[in-house]
Amino acid sequence: MTIRTNRDHGQHYRPRMACLKKLEAMVVEMQNPKGGVKSQEQRLVITTIPHAMTGQDIHAWIVNRLKFTAEEAQAFGTMLVAYGYLYPLQNHKKLVLKPDASLYRFQTPYFWPVQKWPADDTNYAIYLAKRNIRKKGVLEMYEQEHYNSLHKWMNHKWDFIVMQAKEQYRAGKERKKPDRVVFDCQERAYWIVHKPPPRTFSAMDYGLDRLIDPNEEEKKTIDYYRRIIIYIQQSIMRSRTKSTVSLGALVKFTTTYKNHDPFLAPCLPSNPWLTDDDSYWELNLPLVEIPTKMRVERWTFSFYELLNDPRGRTDFRVFLKKEFSGENLAFWEAAEELKWGTAESMKEKAQTIYKTFLAPGAPRWINIDQKTMDITVKGLVYPHRYVLDAAQTHIFMLMKKDTFGRYIKSPVFKDTQKKALSPQEHNFSDSQLEQNARNRRPGIHPILLHQQAEAEKAKVAATGGPVDIKQLRRFKAPLSHLALYSAPCPTGQDDGAWPPPSPIRSFSLSRGRHRRPPAPAPRGEYRSAAHRRRMTLCLHPSASPARDPAGGGRARHPARHSRTKARPRPKTIALFFQNGEDDSTESRFDLLDEECRDAAGVTRQEVICPWESATQQSYME
Amino acid sequence: MNRWHKSVGEIQARRRPVVECERGQAALSKVTACYQQLSSFLGSNSDCSRLREELEETRAMAYTICKGLQRRLTAQLTEGELPQEEREELERLWVLFISGLEIFQQDLRKAAALQHLFPLNQRRDRRGLLNTGCVGGGSGVAARAASVQTPWVRAEEEPSPELGAHVLQLDGMAQEMLQKVSVPFWSMEATQEAWPEDGEDQPDGEEAAAAAGAALEVGAAPEEDRGRGCCRNKRCRLGRVLCLLCVLN
Repeated sequence: MTIRTNRDHGQHYRPRMACLKKLEAMVVEMQNPKGGVKSQEQRLVITTIPHAMTGQDIHAWIVNRLKFTAEEAQAFGTMLVAYGYLYPLQNHKKLVLKPDASLYRFQTPYFWPVQKWPADDTNYAIYLAKRNIRKKGVLEMYEQEHYNSLHKWMNHKWDFIVMQAKEQYRAGKERKKPDRVVFDCQERAYWIVHKPPPRTFSAMDYGLDRLIDPNEEEKKTIDYYRRIIIYIQQSIMRSRTKSTVSLGALVKFTTTYKNHDPFLAPCLPSNPWLTDDDSYWELNLPLVEIPTKMRVERWTFSFYELLNDPRGRTDFRVFLKKEFSGENLAFWEAAEELKWGTAESMKEKAQTIYKTFLAPGAPRWINIDQKTMDITVKGLVYPHRYVLDAAQTHIFMLMKKDTFGRYIKSPVFKDTQKKALSPQEHNFSDSQLEQNARNRRPGIHPILLHQQAEAEKAKVAATGGPVDIKQLRRFKAPLSHLALYSAPCPTGQDDGAWPPPSPIRSFSLSRGRHRRPPAPAPRGEYRSAAHRRRMTLCLHPSASPARDPAGGGRARHPARHSRTKARPRPKTIALFFQNGEDDSTESRFDLLDEECRDAAGVTRQEVICPWESATQQSYME
Repeated sequence: MNRWHKSVGEIQARRRPVVECERGQAALSKVTACYQQLSSFLGSNSDCSRLREELEETRAMAYTICKGLQRRLTAQLTEGELPQEEREELERLWVLFISGLEIFQQDLRKAAALQHLFPLNQRRDRRGLLNTGCVGGGSGVAARAASVQTPWVRAEEEPSPELGAHVLQLDGMAQEMLQKVSVPFWSMEATQEAWPEDGEDQPDGEEAAAAAGAALEVGAAPEEDRGRGCCRNKRCRLGRVLCLLCVLN
């Protein structure tokens, strides 16, 4: 006991467990000698103990009383056993109701689970000590581990624990022998429910503790009524849909996902939670070579499903690579990374995203409408987590409406669909199930899985586009290769995957479908001399036909901003993050063919990020 | 006065409070253990008004022991004129006492809830009691509880409070004690060994319990390996032989 210092506003109360009261009422009904379950006697070596029941009797009673089907009754019975209101007399560790001749008995109410009071560690220590005193060496491995750790953490009251254990043992001996057996069974069942053996779960598990005591009646003060009023006002304010619409959506959802729900349809090959065989998890790893048919079918349901599944996303990426339009997906992923990343990296990420995707003439320019672009770029001045939300949504919709349909009809997807495997359903016999339960092994450690995922990501990023060897040799850094700006020389440049945030990146230029003479970006104002750092960017000509209407408008800009009319010369973004040699820019410029340069109208111009400082400092500082 | 000049009587008198407190703590352990055993009958088919009376008596006994022990411990520890070893012993008893109070309070709460859940006022309430398989009553345990005696003279007799009030009173008692005396709770070290054995058992009980324990696993599926190091092999063998004899007879 410690002095009550719980004045912190932390969570100390267990959540509501409303099922407990209902189960108690049911159990009291069950044991009624008139209308309850038939009881028989359990024959032990020396005595017989009354009030045992067979599983099938319990099952039949539940079916009768609650008008359940057989499976529901079995589930309900298992719940009764799992919560500890009944305990099995054979195989005490498996808390299941078996509707056969195996015996069960009611647990005494002293050992019933209670919502208010968790099972105490001190009591557990006393129980373990008592069992050890009664017979040395009878504790199992996990119990011994618990015992040792309790001995360490409760060392200050260890004398009390030992003393109490001895006293309880001696007090227990005052009872008659069959009663002692029964009490031992009861206590053991109680502790199996509340401190389950490893790799099983306890029905008393709950998530987090709650802030407010759920048993406490709230006093109806002014604050309470104020809160209720606000709540009701808000729920009135909410927009509502017609019930036909919402019901229609519900029906559509259930019909689509009916076969994929593990409760409604059997898992192929088998549900690991039921059969202890984890081939289902092996076959459905996040980045598995050959996905299962169910998984592939799921991708066709909606674009969201496709993107959420890592394997689906890789497939989609492969498809986009073939179509040379990976910038949308890359931007979407970059925006996700910004959303979920650390706060420190946000500024840097925002910069790179702007330079890669949003800047006028960026290498992987995404095609979003002017308004969204305005909002996004304005927001990037002070980047926060959700600054790219509007753009991300737009791109998502674009991909969903346009690319997704093409993907589903594409040979890439059809190939994956053909190759997908459909495993056979397992059919385990009882003894095989027991063997599976015995051979349970812990799976891959989540840290290892995370490392594997990171390695995959890095690999995907590294195998971005093909890298120009000449550049490599010269600058010894991963560089984007140069775009050839003139129309008649298309090269098979592939989109690189979005690289992970790191100082040295390799970008490859994404190719637009139509080669046009480069036009300056619509936002000429970013090029005015007032506020920028001079940086250079790799830019490529307009990427898609949708830009063409704007080209007309853009053509006016060169007249106004003569300085900015030409496109900047090609240069890698990587230079931002190295101690770039300024002279290299010149030489790279020279590398371009004379004609190409002329055709592209490339001059030594630079793209400026709008939020950079006004002073002309070298970015190397 | 030189230590060696003190008489035996004086030394004993000096030690008396500590010894009293130790005996009080042992008595409290005994009584709370009995209370726990008795309250496991609540709500089962061996629950009856007699059981509840026995529970009340045990609780009253526990109350007197608690009160007396608290008074003595607080007095001794706040006086402050104790030699080092005695002070340490008393602090150890302090920690044990407060731990005991905690456990006892939990048992009381549970018993109160159960008595509320299974009232025995009318005859038809007996139908609600669960058939748990215990046929015997708690009389043996109650007798054991009744046999506990307070190690001090029973001069101060207060009537014990109601069950609900008792729970709250224990709370108050613990808070009061913690505020009066500052004892470093967590720094106590255990004197008992980590894996204790009980030396006090009688042969009969042991064998029967062993046989009954083996009977617990009748019909059980083959279990995983246990670190079953059965000590006292002689006794076990003897127990098995006796068991066989009983069965044959």
